[in-house]
Amino acid sequence: MSFFVALQIGLREIAAHKFRSFLSMLGIVLGVSSLIATLALTTGIEIGTRQFMQQVGGLEYVNIVNKEISNQMFDFWNLSPGRTLRDAEILKSSATLVSHVSPELAFGAVIASPDGKSDRKQIRGVYPDHFVVARHELAAGRWLTDLDVERATRAVVIGNTIAETLFPGVPREKLVGRQLLLNGSPFEIVGVLPIYEREEDRLRRMRGEKPSRNRRGWDPFRGKNESVLIPFSTMFYEFRSGAFPMDSKESVRLESLTLRIGDLAQFRNALDQVRSALFVTHRGVDDFDLDTREEWFDRMESSVRATRLSGGLIATISLLVGGIGIMNIMLASISERVREIGIRLAVGARGRDIFTQIMIESVSIAFIGAVIGIVAALGLIELLKALAPNENTPVMTFGGILFSVSFAVLAGFLSGIYPAIRASRLNPISALRYE
Amino acid sequence: MALVELEAVSKVYRIGDQEIRALDHIDLQIDSGEFVAIIGPSGSGKSTLMHLLGCLDAPTTGRMNICGNDLSQASQDRLAGVRNREIGFVFQAFNLLAKLNVVANIELPLVYSSIPGAERRARAEKVATELGLGTRLSNRPAQLSGGQCQRVAIARALVNNPQIVFADEPTGNLDSATGEMVLKIFKDLNAAGKTIVLVTHDPDIAAVSKRVIEIRDGRIKREYNP
Repeated sequence: MSFFVALQIGLREIAAHKFRSFLSMLGIVLGVSSLIATLALTTGIEIGTRQFMQQVGGLEYVNIVNKEISNQMFDFWNLSPGRTLRDAEILKSSATLVSHVSPELAFGAVIASPDGKSDRKQIRGVYPDHFVVARHELAAGRWLTDLDVERATRAVVIGNTIAETLFPGVPREKLVGRQLLLNGSPFEIVGVLPIYEREEDRLRRMRGEKPSRNRRGWDPFRGKNESVLIPFSTMFYEFRSGAFPMDSKESVRLESLTLRIGDLAQFRNALDQVRSALFVTHRGVDDFDLDTREEWFDRMESSVRATRLSGGLIATISLLVGGIGIMNIMLASISERVREIGIRLAVGARGRDIFTQIMIESVSIAFIGAVIGIVAALGLIELLKALAPNENTPVMTFGGILFSVSFAVLAGFLSGIYPAIRASRLNPISALRYE
Repeated sequence: MALVELEAVSKVYRIGDQEIRALDHIDLQIDSGEFVAIIGPSGSGKSTLMHLLGCLDAPTTGRMNICGNDLSQASQDRLAGVRNREIGFVFQAFNLLAKLNVVANIELPLVYSSIPGAERRARAEKVATELGLGTRLSNRPAQLSGGQCQRVAIARALVNNPQIVFADEPTGNLDSATGEMVLKIFKDLNAAGKTIVLVTHDPDIAAVSKRVIEIRDGRIKREYNP
């Protein structure tokens, strides 16, 4: 018997008992739709998390922080100059696996607009590398350049929160070229950064809601949005001592030193390079640490994995239950069709023809259920969006659909085996006598 | 040529610890072109003999050769293959599939011998037309009279062009006029060269055949030509 004929017979059988077939599909429909929805949900969370990781600098971002010195080394502490501009220089020249190095100076200052609005914020002196290391984008204008640092220009790039506070309602493009006072000295705004926010805050803002104080009470982008960035040299001459010439690099202590690894495949080697370069400039004193995002990101990723696993597990169980539903109906269906099977056997059907036919019916029910499940999943995802509009948007992927459908078909296949074996072992004589 | 050869065939059923010898050392030969009737009261073993001859079952002991196939120890699949290719079967209760129309019922044996759809249909329609069912091709069995149903069943038995056709009480569910008509079909088939084996309990019906084999208590009691 050809596969096509068996399929035809199977589909006719399913169509002949629409309600019963639908009932037996129901478990598969629910299982597939919840599996697809769960996968879409976790994919959404995953994408949101990835975006978030990128915005906070990515895994390539490494922060060099000061470390409390150990007791044995205490006497040597003063040998180390700490984090200085020389560190940045030596990293740039000798740590080949590091692509960008951003030394920073910081200074609390009063920032004010010409029409008198003011705020007290930390301003930072940076090199152009900062925009790469911190993954900044531009809403308007330009970034600070090497020329700005060389000439110590009075140029400033401001973040979104600053722009909102000092120039409320002014379009970002119009801000470029306006003046800003930092501790009374005039600076020209050359660039404005876009708003950095999490997916959920963006969605909330899109719907015109107030960016409510978020539940976790911690905004990872607050620092980036409150940026006031001026050239490193300008900061040094204007707001720091300025008395020291910049060429005595070791005397310029940094408030922050961050860098970006060129190639993540070389992550460990790059960290080793940085560590050995810094041991030279710190004269062997172990007073620094390399702060990476690894652990933090690992934690986020493992929580995404856990979400996917638990959701997937529940959906899988419901698919198995759906499979049992199919088995139940198939068993009922064959005991109702004993006579038919007897007739088919009498005219020459072999056991394996009957087996194939029951299997095809079972798999077809599962497959049709899975297709209905895909449609149901679309509805389910819309429902989830409506119920929790501030969460990450669920993303349905082709892979997720394929996985769910294959799993459903597998469930149909497995639950067809037992009824199919029973049907194929029927004795033609007793099957024909069956009433 | 011998289509059916039985040598010392026995069939024993076991119910609990009781042994029931339904057939006891049967020797039988049926040649090509014969019209044989097997008669006997109920419980005589004629149905069991019919099932063996129709390849629905294999004998417990003895040698059985049907249409050149030695089926003494055949598996169910092997029997199914012989049923499909060499044998047509007509039942008392018609045994049509209610869900299928006339053509689909008739082409059922061809479905299991992997014949392409168009050819199946053509052959089924040809046999149906020969049996006077040409206007009923797309009807369901429920829409047909008993005689028409039995003609559909005969068409199904003939569609794979078998060497031998078995009929188990083919007139049992029919009124006498329709029964006559069905018997005439078998007679005509035999006249055209088909080998027919008819099982019945009614000696009058057996009289249409050329050779009658009477079974009693699992043995051939006598054989005669009517």
